[in-house]
Amino acid sequence: MRNDRLKIVFVLCLAFVSTGGQHLESKVAQLLQDKAEDIKCFVEGKDLTCFWEEEEERNNLHDQYTFTYSYENKKKMACVVSSLSLLASNKTVFFCKLPKTPFFTTLVVQVYRDAQMLYSRSLNAENFLFLDPPRNLTVTNSGKEGQLNVSWLPPPLKYMDDSLIYEVRYAMEGSNMGKVEVIKVSTMLVLLGLQSDTRYKVWVRVKPDGVAYKGYWSAWTEPVFGVTPPGDMDPLIVVLVLFIGLILCLLSLTVILSHHKFLLKKLWPDIPTPEHKFPGLFTVYKGDFKEWMSQNNGSIWGRSVHVYAEELPSPLEVLSEVSLTGHATSQREERKPVEEEEEKESERSDSRLTDRWREPPHAHWLMEQLRALQDNPESLSQSSLLQSHDTYVTLNQGDNERQDDDVFEETVPLQTLFTTAGTSSLSTSRSDLGSLQQSSGSGRLSSQSSFEYPNHTWPPKGPGYAYMAVADSGVSMDYSPMSSSRIAELGKHRMYTNDYKNDIFPHKWPLSGQHIKSGSGSCTGTVW
Amino acid sequence: MGSVAERSKALDLGSSLSGGVGLVSVLMVFVWLGENQVSPLRPICDLRVLDHFVREARDSEVIMRGCRGGCGVMKSYFVPLTSVDFAVWEHTDVHGQAVEVQTGLSLLDQALNNAMKTVSNSPLASVLENNISNIHSLGQILHSLDLQQARSTVLPDDSVPASAQTQEVSSLPELLQVQSSFLRGKVRLLLSAAPACQRQNS
Repeated sequence: MRNDRLKIVFVLCLAFVSTGGQHLESKVAQLLQDKAEDIKCFVEGKDLTCFWEEEEERNNLHDQYTFTYSYENKKKMACVVSSLSLLASNKTVFFCKLPKTPFFTTLVVQVYRDAQMLYSRSLNAENFLFLDPPRNLTVTNSGKEGQLNVSWLPPPLKYMDDSLIYEVRYAMEGSNMGKVEVIKVSTMLVLLGLQSDTRYKVWVRVKPDGVAYKGYWSAWTEPVFGVTPPGDMDPLIVVLVLFIGLILCLLSLTVILSHHKFLLKKLWPDIPTPEHKFPGLFTVYKGDFKEWMSQNNGSIWGRSVHVYAEELPSPLEVLSEVSLTGHATSQREERKPVEEEEEKESERSDSRLTDRWREPPHAHWLMEQLRALQDNPESLSQSSLLQSHDTYVTLNQGDNERQDDDVFEETVPLQTLFTTAGTSSLSTSRSDLGSLQQSSGSGRLSSQSSFEYPNHTWPPKGPGYAYMAVADSGVSMDYSPMSSSRIAELGKHRMYTNDYKNDIFPHKWPLSGQHIKSGSGSCTGTVW
Repeated sequence: MGSVAERSKALDLGSSLSGGVGLVSVLMVFVWLGENQVSPLRPICDLRVLDHFVREARDSEVIMRGCRGGCGVMKSYFVPLTSVDFAVWEHTDVHGQAVEVQTGLSLLDQALNNAMKTVSNSPLASVLENNISNIHSLGQILHSLDLQQARSTVLPDDSVPASAQTQEVSSLPELLQVQSSFLRGKVRLLLSAAPACQRQNS
């Protein structure tokens, strides 16, 4: 029985020593990194332990070492040296544990090896406390959002409860980045500002506060987990969010309603239709233009023209024709392919008027003829072709000397007079005339001169005279000699090209005059 | 008629006598109350006061280390023992602890005063003066704890049981180190374990 008891006691002692040794080993291992001192000391509990590393190239015989300590000028006292093998770093240390460590006094510790002093150090024991970690760490849910209650017990010490500071480290589970809170004396803490419904890990360690006692940080406790309560939406915030959303909706609705027409125009624009220009075309005649034209032949044409005062189609007559048939026919023949070219080109053109003067091959001859006619106005008086409301094109010429092609092209401004029942067009055209003076000063506007047709009648199917049809805007001008039959065609063709609703004849005659390309113009006009 | 006058006279005398006796008795009662009733100081149990003194003692050590010139002469001072063996200390009763602390404070006070006479460096002199006033305050704190310690604050050098309770140091830095250790050790242990404060805490 007694043997059993002894055995039990021995086993317990061993266990105690081993755990103590484990503590010792861990502490020694931690302090081993401190290279400042040869003898490293710490106080565990109430006892000072000093250790030093085994020197290399020595045998592992701890009998050689002698450890002495003294204080307050007393005699030196010896301490029993023991050895410890560190498994982690595969080193051996010798240590000594002072049996009764005096505190608050200067200790002088020395290590001798074979009566030769190896190390010496003087220290105050209360400055090297190496405490055990706190115990009984608990993390509880406080019930409030984002908070955890942490509490622990201090290491078992007397007289030091009020001299300790703690460090609480916490991190989200799975993360290594933690925050640290330092707390003095008190052994509980409320963690604030945490995420809701998250699992947290918490560690604690302890150290003397450094006023009366000093020391090293203890080891961290084992982590303890805690879960924060799930967060609930603050009802005030929900109400505010809804309110603001409602206000925003109302505002946007108001804006949309007040500008709905504008928005509709932008998002769903009307497809432009030419209906307004052809009254009755789509409604009555179902798009049959021929019928519509036949019904509204003269008057409607005139009326439609009259409505858009600036888009006046007006026939253009050059009232002089010289019966040089050879020239004329040759000119006409030459011009036929040119004419077709022109027509095609004009059809291909955009909404601008592309008028091209094609220089007549016999420009000089032409000018001479005109001059002749001009000089003899009485020869023209016989003409019955003039109608006051017809449009006249006067080809104004510059100096007679300048017979060059370039000069001819530059100095022949095309001037159109619009004469209709109304004078408004005339007035506008007069203003346009002003803008038409683009020549280098040699142009002269003569609005009234007219060329009378001396020999021929004026029916618009003569083979020899130029006939210009001035259609409304959007129509490319074609100064080519053509028969009357083509006029109607031209009208038909031209009427439907390039209709733009918004521009009320911006490209009027005067502007069309500007489009006369000087380089390529050819007046396929007068043939007489 | 004579009897009436005599009676009135006697009455007057009697009343005055009784009044006087009453007054005296009241006074007696007051005196008795005053004597019996201790007018105690409130016990100062907050150790932060002591921690403040400890920090200032440490500051004086730092200033001492940085002192160049006029830092006192080599002189021997008798200072208390500062070492604390917890096992022994716990076995000492409070009264004995109080006596130790009180005598130690006295010794330190004396030594510091002697040292100040030899110091001409003004920062050092001012911190020494501060330390002396701190020691006086500690005396007051001890008194407030009512530990029945010896009331004498100043002891002559030769009457102290030197060997048991004192040690000798030979320089001012050592003196300051002893002061620091003494305050952190014995004084603190005594104050933290004072019965007057324990009663308050529990």
